[in-house]
Amino acid sequence: MNKYYVLVVEDEKNIRSFMQTILTSNGYAVLTARNGEEALMMLSSHCPDLVLLDLGLPDLDGQVFIQRVRQWNQVPILVVSARTHERDKVTALDLGADDYITKPFGTSELLARVRAALRHAAQRSAGQRDGSYVCGGLTVDWEKRRVLLDGKDVHLTQNEYKIVALLAQHAGKVVTYDQLIRHVWGPNVVGDNRILRVNMANIRRKLEHNPAEPQYLFTEIGVGYRMAEGD
Amino acid sequence: MQNWRERLRKAMQFSVRNTAVTLGILAATTGLSYVLQVFDKNSNYVSMLFVLAVFLIARMTQGYFYGIAASLGSVLLVNFLFTYPYFRFNFTLSGYPIAILSMLAVSVTTSALTTQAKHSAEIRLEAEREKTRSNLLRAVSHDLRTPLTGILGASSAILENDEQLSREERLSLLRDVRDDAQWLIRMVENLLTITRMDGSNGARVAKSPEAGEEVLETAAVKFRKQFPDWKLTVQAPEEFLLIPMDAVLIGQVLMNLLENAVDHAAGGDQIWLSLERQGDMAVFTVRDNGCGLDVGLLPKIFEGKASAGSSGDRKRNMGIGLSVCNTIIRAHGGTMKAKNAPQGGAVFCFALPLEEKAYE
Repeated sequence: MNKYYVLVVEDEKNIRSFMQTILTSNGYAVLTARNGEEALMMLSSHCPDLVLLDLGLPDLDGQVFIQRVRQWNQVPILVVSARTHERDKVTALDLGADDYITKPFGTSELLARVRAALRHAAQRSAGQRDGSYVCGGLTVDWEKRRVLLDGKDVHLTQNEYKIVALLAQHAGKVVTYDQLIRHVWGPNVVGDNRILRVNMANIRRKLEHNPAEPQYLFTEIGVGYRMAEGD
Repeated sequence: MQNWRERLRKAMQFSVRNTAVTLGILAATTGLSYVLQVFDKNSNYVSMLFVLAVFLIARMTQGYFYGIAASLGSVLLVNFLFTYPYFRFNFTLSGYPIAILSMLAVSVTTSALTTQAKHSAEIRLEAEREKTRSNLLRAVSHDLRTPLTGILGASSAILENDEQLSREERLSLLRDVRDDAQWLIRMVENLLTITRMDGSNGARVAKSPEAGEEVLETAAVKFRKQFPDWKLTVQAPEEFLLIPMDAVLIGQVLMNLLENAVDHAAGGDQIWLSLERQGDMAVFTVRDNGCGLDVGLLPKIFEGKASAGSSGDRKRNMGIGLSVCNTIIRAHGGTMKAKNAPQGGAVFCFALPLEEKAYE
């Protein structure tokens, strides 16, 4: 089987080397770049399957990097960022990054995000997704526009269904407030995400046994929501 | 030259508020004098009232300008309105220059005293802040050294004695390194918070309405990942609560309280995290089933010095985490309490206002 190629863009040597070790020992082929220019060159010459991007690069702003790459390349980009830069994370996602992971992170977290991003890319390029999403007791059936919990129909409003369907399509990946709002209410409703929160609270009460300890819908405070990876 | 300009700028501080105060007090005094004249034709007290007005204006405005302007204005007003001939200026009255001079003296002296008092209060506040900061730095540097020494020691032990160490020993050393590093990260996050709050001047935070249950959930997920051995029960109200807060900071408070329980609740293995509405406050509670709090420490628990026992044992130092929590909650306009639960174990709770109160 062919290995997936992952390009790690990180200026700190130690962080680069431990990410490389984790990925290599889990069956990925790893390319590394120390700065943005090098990364752009590697991208065009090696065509990796995934980019792990540290937002704080020495030569090029991470946001600019994403914009430049997105002009010609749809490779999944996983942003690695520090806790204190929530704004940057959101901007990066809205500019076309696929997901993010916050430093410090554990091995399993990193691998889960990498897997999810690669799977989404594969689905996207196949242009086809399965007719439904299944995770534990939750089923989202896109064709019949139905949501089932433990075998029973869940009654969602039109907007609630749109939110759940979008999250399920991107299961395992974070979807930002802006992306959700644009998808459900259209591009002209900006700024206020209160209405989204209220909708999410209602959805949570319909889908989760204990809304404070969700099994399916997870909050990424200040960024958006993430649905658990499907089975 | 520079100094003079600076002084001149300080003496001449113009603002709408100062102007309003000045005009308001002068108008009030004029009005009062008119009313009093209905009862008493003898108008000796009028100039006294205006001296009082000048005093108040000099006290309540910044710089010298408004006081001086008010004293000149008062002299003219008294002359024009309250001395014969009425509604006409008469500069030939005896003692007139003395009246002007005494008014000026009152205003200048008061302004000078006011400015000085304000200045020394500022200096005191700055000194206070400086002291807290250097105390904190000292405590932190001490606290940072211990885990760093541990990491350095354990990693060199592995590197230099690779062959002598058994697999078990090696793993145990590596676990220590990981724990120390985790602890360091928490500490640094707290420090970052402190500097962030310092930067926002007077510990004011940028609040946005956040869903209470989402904040609980995020903290719970993070906690379970770090401490899988602890049992955590989370409870949120059925009602959907939007609470104005800086979610990152409140998340950090919750994490600090949860980790505090792990570090200090000897004999405990379970934590309850809950949120409820009490009137116009949202109350978060963290309770554990450990040994409870030392009652003697309670009054000072949030002051950042509640380090029990020998100073060498960092595990016992809960000072910085809790004092950061308290600072964050106070900056949100909330309150924080610590007590022992009747069924045993420690309880930490904090209340945040549900409605954004208008400041000033």
